[in-house]
Amino acid sequence: MDAAAVEARGLVKRFGTLTAVDGIDLSLAPGRIYGLLGPNGSGKTTLIRLLAGLAIPTAGEAIVLGVRMPSASQLSRIGYMTQSDGLYPELTIWENLRFFGALYGITDRPSLEAALETVQLADRAGTPVMELSGGMRRRVSLACALVHRPAVLFLDEPTVGIDPTMRVQFWGHFRQLAAAGATILVSSHVMDEADRCDELVLVRNGKVVDQGTGAEIRERAGTNDLEEAFLRYAERLGGGNGDAPLPSRGSAR
Amino acid sequence: MNATRVRAVIRRIIDQFRHDRRSLALLFLVPIVISGLLGWIMTSQATPTPRVAAVVGDTLLRASVSAALNGAATDGLIVDLGLLDDEQVARTMLRAGDADTVLLMPSGTAASVASGQRPTITLLTLGVDAARDSAAAGTAQKLLAAMFAARGAAIALPLVVHGTIFGKPEPTQLDILGPVFIGFFAYFLVFILTGISFLRERTGGTLERLMATPITRMEIVTGYSIGFGLFAMLQVIVFLVFSLASVTVPAIGPLPSFGLGLGIYNAGSPLLVFAVTLLSALGAVNLAIFLSTFARTEFQIVQFIPLVIVPQAFLAGIFWPIATLPPVLQVIARLLPLTYTIEGLRAIMIRGADLTDTTLQVDVLFLAGVALVFAVMATRTIRREVA
Repeated sequence: MDAAAVEARGLVKRFGTLTAVDGIDLSLAPGRIYGLLGPNGSGKTTLIRLLAGLAIPTAGEAIVLGVRMPSASQLSRIGYMTQSDGLYPELTIWENLRFFGALYGITDRPSLEAALETVQLADRAGTPVMELSGGMRRRVSLACALVHRPAVLFLDEPTVGIDPTMRVQFWGHFRQLAAAGATILVSSHVMDEADRCDELVLVRNGKVVDQGTGAEIRERAGTNDLEEAFLRYAERLGGGNGDAPLPSRGSAR
Repeated sequence: MNATRVRAVIRRIIDQFRHDRRSLALLFLVPIVISGLLGWIMTSQATPTPRVAAVVGDTLLRASVSAALNGAATDGLIVDLGLLDDEQVARTMLRAGDADTVLLMPSGTAASVASGQRPTITLLTLGVDAARDSAAAGTAQKLLAAMFAARGAAIALPLVVHGTIFGKPEPTQLDILGPVFIGFFAYFLVFILTGISFLRERTGGTLERLMATPITRMEIVTGYSIGFGLFAMLQVIVFLVFSLASVTVPAIGPLPSFGLGLGIYNAGSPLLVFAVTLLSALGAVNLAIFLSTFARTEFQIVQFIPLVIVPQAFLAGIFWPIATLPPVLQVIARLLPLTYTIEGLRAIMIRGADLTDTTLQVDVLFLAGVALVFAVMATRTIRREVA
């Protein structure tokens, strides 16, 4: 097996008595899109933060491109799109992009323009972010995460609040980036996005309950419906009470 | 430390202000309104001439008290209400607000003075306004001195002329308070601006994103210090120009002539005043970043004001000289940055101190130290994020 782009080994993160990530092992290969699926509060965001070097694991290790995280040297090779937009609302699209670009040392106009082009906002560059719709803000946020052409992209619920047309375009971008060799981990709790991923990682209560392609997971769970599969895993693990239910198919949040 | 990234933070702060026209306007308007209002009140504070009456039980003294009151009224010191029949009448008048001060001289006053004793003369006021009461007491003393001098014609009382080592001989309240409010408001305003701005960074998810980029914590704090320092600088300039300059705008058409600027007395270098104020403002920037960790909402940042700003206002020697505070509070006052800002500004503006002055050296070093310590503390708080 060739070198994994992103690896987790026995990763644990506790906040007081709460164990948000409970011993996760992962191995993500370059050039593939991984879907991180799980209900709200299952530990998706914490896992991403650990992998992106924004939190220090309680135990275990997170490795990105061969370097143990958190590591300052790896930050410029990682793109991270937060669940909240993480933009300056009073600044224009262009100013936001220019700012985040500069932090990665990207100051040339063509690179910034290319990032805007990717999310098709080149004609709105001068609009203040606060005047944009939620979906457009997600696009700006994505552009800011892409501006330095990272080798690894962590996208935390990137398509929340985005209309179906735009969502298709988003997945188009992701596919292009993966084709160019990027490793992408996309978290979502919308199951109909799952089939767009090369591989799925199902998490629940901070643990990985299954990993594989959509077809493999369906087969193992003995159902054709991913959502159904998820519920069966929940039953097998016992409990399931107190968890936020998965949203029905197609609902955008 | 990477210059591109620090520059990016500074540029972003400037961009934010550029888009937020109202904040930018307030940044300039606030010092003008505050210093204008304060100056207006303090320079044109006309103390009304006290209305003085006397109840003289000693018939020997009636004529001379009456003459003394009359004389003082001619000099414009008082308004002469003449002699009253008895204390009851006097009390009624005071209560009704028809008189400000009444002197009560019992019978036998003249005799006891003559025999070398010290008779008691009562000074009656309403007792609701400490400043006016002490002024009334002063007036009464002058009045009595004049009266007894007139009776014992041989004694000539010396004339007292006030001289000072520093400052103007007859300072207005504004000259003494000037240094204070330049330093205080610059500190206060920068604290609020930075605090709220950095809190938004924490709550808006942008700090999370910043931490995912190669920018270091020190670069963020440096960028913030310079960015907000720049705006603090502009504000201090507005304050200084408005406080130190004094321009009389001539009457135009129906508008009466009016004064612009406060013309506060400044014995020292305006540049030095600027430098000290800026140094203290930098401390405020870093303190605000540090404290924004402990706030979750903008509401809470505003609640830090009574905690951070008000005690400093009380203890820093703005209202009461530090030497008059209880010993424990004096020690605390010596730990507060604003104490040094105000001490420094007073040294420059009233005594004309320059950098060879040891007091000022201590002030400047302390302020620089505070800015540095809080910069380090601010840096420490940045990584400590909520999940």
